Parts: sequence; structure tokens; C-alpha cells
Amino acid sequence: MKISECPVNKLGVSAAQKLIDRVVAEARKGRLKKRNLVWLEATGCSGNIISLLNGSNPDFRYFIRDMVNLVYNNSLMASEGEAAFEHLVRVSTADFILAVEGAVATKDKGLYNVIGNWKGKPVTAIDAVRWLGERAAHVIAVGACATHGGPSAAKPNPSQSVSVQSVLKRKVIKLPGCPCHPDWFLGTLAHLLLYGQPLLDEFDRPLMFYGTLIHDLCPRRSFFEKGIFAEKLGEKTCMFKLGCRGPVTRVDCPVRQWNDYVNWPIGDDTPCIGCAQFGFPDAMEPFISYDIT
Amino acid sequence: MNGFELIRGQTNNLLIEINGYINCLHLTPCPYTRNMLLTLLRQKISFLSFLNNLQYSLGVRQPDILPQQTFTVEQLSKYDGKNGQPAYIAVNGLVYDVTNSAAWAAATHFGLSAGRDLTREFLNCHQEQQQILNSLPVIGRLVQ
Repeated sequence: MKISECPVNKLGVSAAQKLIDRVVAEARKGRLKKRNLVWLEATGCSGNIISLLNGSNPDFRYFIRDMVNLVYNNSLMASEGEAAFEHLVRVSTADFILAVEGAVATKDKGLYNVIGNWKGKPVTAIDAVRWLGERAAHVIAVGACATHGGPSAAKPNPSQSVSVQSVLKRKVIKLPGCPCHPDWFLGTLAHLLLYGQPLLDEFDRPLMFYGTLIHDLCPRRSFFEKGIFAEKLGEKTCMFKLGCRGPVTRVDCPVRQWNDYVNWPIGDDTPCIGCAQFGFPDAMEPFISYDIT
Repeated sequence: MNGFELIRGQTNNLLIEINGYINCLHLTPCPYTRNMLLTLLRQKISFLSFLNNLQYSLGVRQPDILPQQTFTVEQLSKYDGKNGQPAYIAVNGLVYDVTNSAAWAAATHFGLSAGRDLTREFLNCHQEQQQILNSLPVIGRLVQ
């Protein structure tokens, strides 16, 4: 049986879509009110919003038309400057869900990351995250930088970047990944809209996506058990000796896969670099090794 | 196959099944499926408890005698998992082989390298998780 035919795996892949379909059905019946969503970008590379734009099940248009009112995102909104910032000020007194991508730069009172201007004064990411984070109904940290610092906080961390949780004294739902898969975010958001906070593990990751180790669902697991290891990239066996981080990374990449569910690193003969594990990238290095016993 | 091996085989199978049910439980949004899975989990746990009692009634096996090989910190540093050497680490005075431990890909684990005494690091991250060490082969003892 192919891994894609396993009923457990099928259930996992379709979980996000089922939740989102339910959101839309409930909204159309008038039983569910669309809620405001603020997507704040702090110290990062915009990779997570780009990943979300690549979502296919549902696509981005469906997301902003049928699921939420996307009030603010600096990469996508038409307004700019203080006019854009005004949207944030207005929503801050209403009901909204906050998604943050990127770490929070703390050096020099956060001046390494200014996200906008308000009344002529610069607004730093740290100020914005604290201000909105305390007022939001839910806070979702999206991607490696927001959840634990990620590449923005990698050594030597010149901007002294930290996670969103480090500057907020409240529950922050964490969706690690570099970037975060569109389904992980949309599925979590759909769950929030329908039933509230999803079941989380001890690190506040939703169990429906982060419940299993990559190693446990890896299609090359049998090679590991038999001790058949790849010695160089391109070989179609277990890449444990090359430094694969699948055995320490908890997420559903092997069954969900990326870019419209087409492929994932192992499927293309390169090891998992543990991008969805806390501590990435420093703790997941070296990404590749050749002289291992 | 003796009684102990039979019990061990059955226990391993049960643990795999329990793991599978827990995975399903995480994935399904349907409350009815969840209830069914919880019932199945309870059945498996009660079978596990039966096997546990059976093992005690057969008498608990003596722990394996520890290997006599000793390592100094300097000797241990040679076993870093590179260039043909196996990967060993020391925790609480015992030396463990992590060459083929899944969490030690390329003889590294969360930024730590093999060939070192990692007692402090182990206690920082895995305190009260002795079962992690129990699953690793013991190679010898660390001496000053």
C-alpha cells in the first residue's frame, strides 16, 4: 500500500480542508460571523505570507473572501504609510485574531525593526506585537522566526531577536516551519473560528498537524530499520547518516507535502533540515555531513 | 521463544497500536471517531496492564551486567561518529552508543556532538526521562 493510500494519512491531509469547508458552510448559513485578522510582519523574510499565497486547498482568494476580513498585512494591502497604519489602530479596539510572522528584534528598544509610522513617530515591531498581542482574541505565531526566533535569531543574532512568546504574557499558538505550510495556518485558523483553540501539545503546537514525527511517517523508514543508508545526495535510501532531522522533527510533511501537495525534501533525495523544529537553524546544523560512520 | 520474549513482543505490538491510535486521535476532527478511538485505547491499556502483571508473576528478570570497558573524557572524544569511528556519549557516568540512534543523525543532536559527556545537557532537556537512556546500548563507564 502506498503511504498516500493509508486511511490515517488521508485523514490528516484532509483535516484542514474539512475544517475550512465547515467554516464556509456555517458562514453561509449565517451561523458564523467572519472575524478580523491582522497579519503582522516582524523581523523575517516575508516567507510565510508568500507560502500562504501559494495555498491551494483552499487558495488565498477563498481565504480572504470566505473565511476572514484580512484587515492588515504590509505586503498585500493597497493602503500605505500612516493610512495603512490607521487600519491597525481602528481594529485594535474591535474583535480580531492576530497572526505574527517574523521574530521580535529587541536590541536598542526594537529599533532594528520599524514596521510603520504613526503620527510622525516610528513604530517598532516589539511595540506593535505587545500592543496588539495584549488585545487580540487569539495570537498565532506563524513560522520559525515568530515561534522561537528561527533564522532571525540565529548566531550571532545581531538584532537580538526573540520569539513572539518572549514578549507576550499570554497563550501564543505556535506554528513552526520555515516557512509555515498554508494548511497548517488555515486549518488552525478554521479551528479557531469554529471551535476555538485546537488541541495543543506542551509546546503549544496544534496536534492535528504537529502530532507525529517525520521519521514515523517517512516512506524511507524501512531503509532506516534495515540499516541501508545513503552516502551521498541523490540516493533513494535513508539519509540518516547524511544528517536527516526527520527523527527529531514533529510535523506531517511526509503525507501533506508542499507546493500543491506535489513533493517534499525527502521525495527529492535531500535530507530534512528540521525547519519545523524549535531551535532551527542553529540546533539542526550541520544540514549535511559526509564523513559519518 | 521464552515467556519474557513473548511478553516483550506483545508489548511492543501494543505500543505500536497505541501510538497509531494516538496519531489518529490527533488527526480526526470528528467527536464520534474520537470516542471510538478512546475506547480502543482503553482496551489496549488494559491489555498492557495484564501483560505487566503477567511479567511480575513470572518473576522480574535481572538487569544485564554492565560492560567493564572504561573511558576517560579524552578517550571518549575519539568516538565522535566521524571517519569510521562509532558515536558514543556519556550520561551520569555511563557511556552509550548513539551511532544508529535515530535522534543522532550525522552524530549530532540539537547542536550537540558525540564524543562528549552530556550529563548536564541531558538533565536540562530530558530530566526524568530515563527511558530514553534505557533504549540505548551501554558500552562502558566514564572514569576520571
